Amino acid sequence: MANELDMTEEEKIQYIVVKIGSEQYGINISLVDNIVRMQKITRVPKAPSYYPGIINLRGEIVPVMSARNKMGLGEDVITNQSRIIILKLELQGLVGILVDEVKEVISLGESEIDRSAQNSKKQGNTYINGIGKSGDELISIFEINSIVDEVAVS
Amino acid sequence: MDVSQYLDIFIDETSEHIQALSDNIMVLENEPENKDTINEIFRAAHSLKGMAGTMGFKRMQHLTHDMENVFSEVRNDNIKVNSEMIDLLFNCLDAIEAYLETVKSTSDEGTEDNEVLIKKLNAYLDGGNDEAPAQAEEAKEEAPKEEAPAEASSGSEDPNGKDHFKVLKIDENDISKIREAQESGLIIYGMTVHIQKECLLKAARAFLVFKALEDFGEILHYDPASQDIEDEKFDLAFSCIMSSNSSDVEAIKAAVSAVSEVEAVDLDKVTAEMYEKPVEEAPKEEPKVEEKAPAVASAKPTAKADAKATTPAAKKAANKPVTARTVRVDIEKLDALMNQVSELIIAKNSIVSISASEASGADYDSQSLQEQIEYLERITTNLHESVMKVRMVPIESTVNKFPRMIRDLSRKLNKPMELVMTGEETELDRTVVDQIGDPLQHLLRNSADHGIESPEVRKAAGKPEEGSIFLNAFQEGNNVIIQVGDDGGGIDTERVLQKAIERGIVSEEEAETLSQKEIIDFLFMPSFSMAKQITDISGRGVGLDVVKSNIEALGGDVEVKSTLGQGSTFTVRLPLTLAIIQALMVEIRDEKYAIALGSIMNIEDISINDIKYVEAKEVIHLRGLVIPIIRLDQLLDCEPREEEPENLTVVVVKKGDSYAGLVVDNLMGQQEIVIKSLGKVIENNKLISGATILGDGEVALIIDVNTLI
Repeated sequence: MANELDMTEEEKIQYIVVKIGSEQYGINISLVDNIVRMQKITRVPKAPSYYPGIINLRGEIVPVMSARNKMGLGEDVITNQSRIIILKLELQGLVGILVDEVKEVISLGESEIDRSAQNSKKQGNTYINGIGKSGDELISIFEINSIVDEVAVS
Repeated sequence: MDVSQYLDIFIDETSEHIQALSDNIMVLENEPENKDTINEIFRAAHSLKGMAGTMGFKRMQHLTHDMENVFSEVRNDNIKVNSEMIDLLFNCLDAIEAYLETVKSTSDEGTEDNEVLIKKLNAYLDGGNDEAPAQAEEAKEEAPKEEAPAEASSGSEDPNGKDHFKVLKIDENDISKIREAQESGLIIYGMTVHIQKECLLKAARAFLVFKALEDFGEILHYDPASQDIEDEKFDLAFSCIMSSNSSDVEAIKAAVSAVSEVEAVDLDKVTAEMYEKPVEEAPKEEPKVEEKAPAVASAKPTAKADAKATTPAAKKAANKPVTARTVRVDIEKLDALMNQVSELIIAKNSIVSISASEASGADYDSQSLQEQIEYLERITTNLHESVMKVRMVPIESTVNKFPRMIRDLSRKLNKPMELVMTGEETELDRTVVDQIGDPLQHLLRNSADHGIESPEVRKAAGKPEEGSIFLNAFQEGNNVIIQVGDDGGGIDTERVLQKAIERGIVSEEEAETLSQKEIIDFLFMPSFSMAKQITDISGRGVGLDVVKSNIEALGGDVEVKSTLGQGSTFTVRLPLTLAIIQALMVEIRDEKYAIALGSIMNIEDISINDIKYVEAKEVIHLRGLVIPIIRLDQLLDCEPREEEPENLTVVVVKKGDSYAGLVVDNLMGQQEIVIKSLGKVIENNKLISGATILGDGEVALIIDVNTLI
C-alpha cells in the first residue's frame, strides 16, 4: 500500500529555506555541502563587492559571496542568526553564500512551484527560477548558476 | 604470460631507451667513428627490441629489429654513417615513440606498420643493390597496408576479449571439417574459456576443459593451436570450435565451468560461414603475421556481437589511458620517509601516554609534553622536506629532447647551430617540470628562428658561422633560474617600437620616452609577432605572451635581456616548490598578509622625511639604489590611517634586477606556510597569489610580489 501511494505522488525536491532580508529563498538541498555559523571572513582586496572574502572551512579555503549584494539588495547585516551555506558546485567547487537565517527544510513538488513568474524576464538578471508555495509562505527558488555564475576578475 | 603488470615498467624503460638512443645518435652524427657510442646505441636498440618482443608488441619489435640490424652493420664497419641515415634513424625513433604513446593510452601498440621506414632501413642494409629487395618488400607490405583501416575499427583483437571465438582465424582445413560436421547434422559450438588470473597450471586446466568437452563431441579447431595450448603459450583465455549432437548449451557450459579455476565461458552456436569469408579475403597474407588476420575477420562478427549487446570488455578498457602519472623515487628517499613516519608514530604515542597519565591523576609533567611537542615539530619539518624531495625531479627529463629539436630546426632552417645545455640535473617540483617544457621549447624555437642569423650574415658580422644557443639551469635561493638565449642578432628595439606604433599600441610621442625594457615588453603582448613572414616554426603571434602566462601560472616570471648584434637571453625564474614556502608575515591595519621570503631582500625602517619624489612617485634612496615605494594599504584598499606615522616599515623586495619597497604596518615574523588556492571564483586576482591558514585557523593572503614590480 505504502509503495503504491509513493508511486502516485509526484517526485519532490527538498529545499533549504533561508531568509535574506524580508524574503525567503529555497536552495536545492542536493547542492548544499554544509551549513556553518558565521565566522571571520578574510577580505580579498580587489575582489568584486559581492565577494566579501574567504573563510577557512576545516583547512580548505572557501570563497564566500553575498547573495544580497549580488542581487542588489544592499549590504549584509551580520547577526547571531547569520549562517554561511556551503555549496558544492561542479564547476566552481566549494562556494559559501551568506544568509541572514536558515529556517527549515521543505519538500516541494513541481506542481507547488510557480514557474510562470520568471518567464517574463523583464528586468535583466533573474536569480530565481520559480516561486514555491508552502502553506501561506512564498519561497523563491534560487537559480544557483546565475548567482554563482561568472568567474570574477578584478 | 600476462604482461599487463609490466606495462608501467615497459613504458618507463622504453622512454629511457628512446632518450638514450636519441642522445647517442646526436653524438654519432658529430663523431661518426665513435665506437663507444655505436655500442651504446646498439645496446639500447637491442634492449628496446627485447622488451617490445616480451610485451608482444610485434610491430614495434619489427621496427627496432631492423634498426638494430643497421646499427650492427655500422658497428661492423660495413656501413658509414651519413646525415640521411641519421635523419632516418630519428624518424624511426619518432615512430617508436608513437608506438609508445599508443601503448600508453590503449595498452596496445596500435596498427601502424611503418613499412616505409622499415623499407628504408633495409635499403641501407642491402647497400648498393637496394632496388630489388625494396620492391620485394613493397609487395610484401602491401597487404597489411590495405587492411589497416579494418584493424583500426576492431577492438577485439585481444585473444582475452569476450566472445573471441567469433573472430577466430581458421584455416581451410579446419573450416572444411566444420562444414562437414555441420552438414552431417551436428551442432557447431564456439567458445572462449577464460582462466582465472591466479591460475598456475593453465595448460592442465585447458586439458581438463578439452577432456570435459570430448564427452559432448569432437573438437574441430583450437585457438591457439593445440600444441601451443599444451605448452601454455596462451594468455588468460583460449578458444575452440567443437561439434556435438547435443543441443543442451547449458550442459556443455556447466561441464566446462566445473573445471576448477575457470573464470568464465563464452559459448554460442557458430557456423562455418562465420569464418569462411574473411579467410578468403586474406589468403595472400603470410601466415606468420598472425595477429592481423583475426582482426580483419573481426570486422563483421564484432558488429554482430555488438548488436547482441555483448560489448567486448577489451574494447571498453582500451579507450582509457592505462597508466598513471608517476614519479620514480630513489629508494633512499623512501626509506627516509618511512623512518620519519615511524618517528612520528613514536612521538604520537608519547603524547598519548602523557595525556593518559594526566587523566589518571598522576603528576602532570608539562616539561616532557613540551619536549614531545618540539620533537613532533622537528619530525614534521623533516617529513615535509622528505616529501618535497620525493616530488623533486631533475629537469633533465624535460630538456633532454631539446638538442634533437635544435638539430632538426638547424636542418630545416639551413642555419648551422648548436645547443649547449648546463645544469640539467637541477631539480624542480614534478608539476613544474611537466609544464615548463612547452614554454622552454618556444623560447628555443624563437632563438633558432629569429635569434640566430643566416650563416652569411653571421660571417659578415665576424661571428662563427655556427650559431650557438644555450640553456642554463641553476638554483638561486628558493628559485630555479633557467636561462635560454643565443648569440644571434638580438632584439631590434627600433623595429619593435615601429611595429608597436604601427599597431597603435603607443603614440609616437609616448614612444620616445620608453625605456629599452619597456619596448622589449611589447613582445610579450598577445598577438604581437615580429616575424616578417610566418613560418611553421614561429611567427603566428601566439608566442611570448603564452610563454609568459604559462610561466606565471607556475608562479614564476620571465625576463629578457638583449643586445643588438650580440644576442638575447630569456631568464625564466621558477619557484622550487609550489605547495609550501617560507614567508614573512606582515600586518596592514588588522589584516595579515604573507610575503614569500625568497623575494625579500631586506627590511628597512625609514623616516617619512627620507621619501623623495621622482615623476610624482614616492621613492627612497638606499645604498645607491633608487627604490620605488608601494603603499600596500592603498593598493589593497585598506582603511586609511588617521595620522601618518613618523617612521615607515619598508619590506624591500626584488625581482631580477628591479626592486620595490612595500610599506607595511607591522612585521610578525617568519613562518612556513602552505599555499592554498583562493577558490575558482576569485582566483584570477592579480595581487594575491593564494591564501594560507595560520596556526589559529585564521586566513592570511599571500601577496604576489612579482605583479607589484
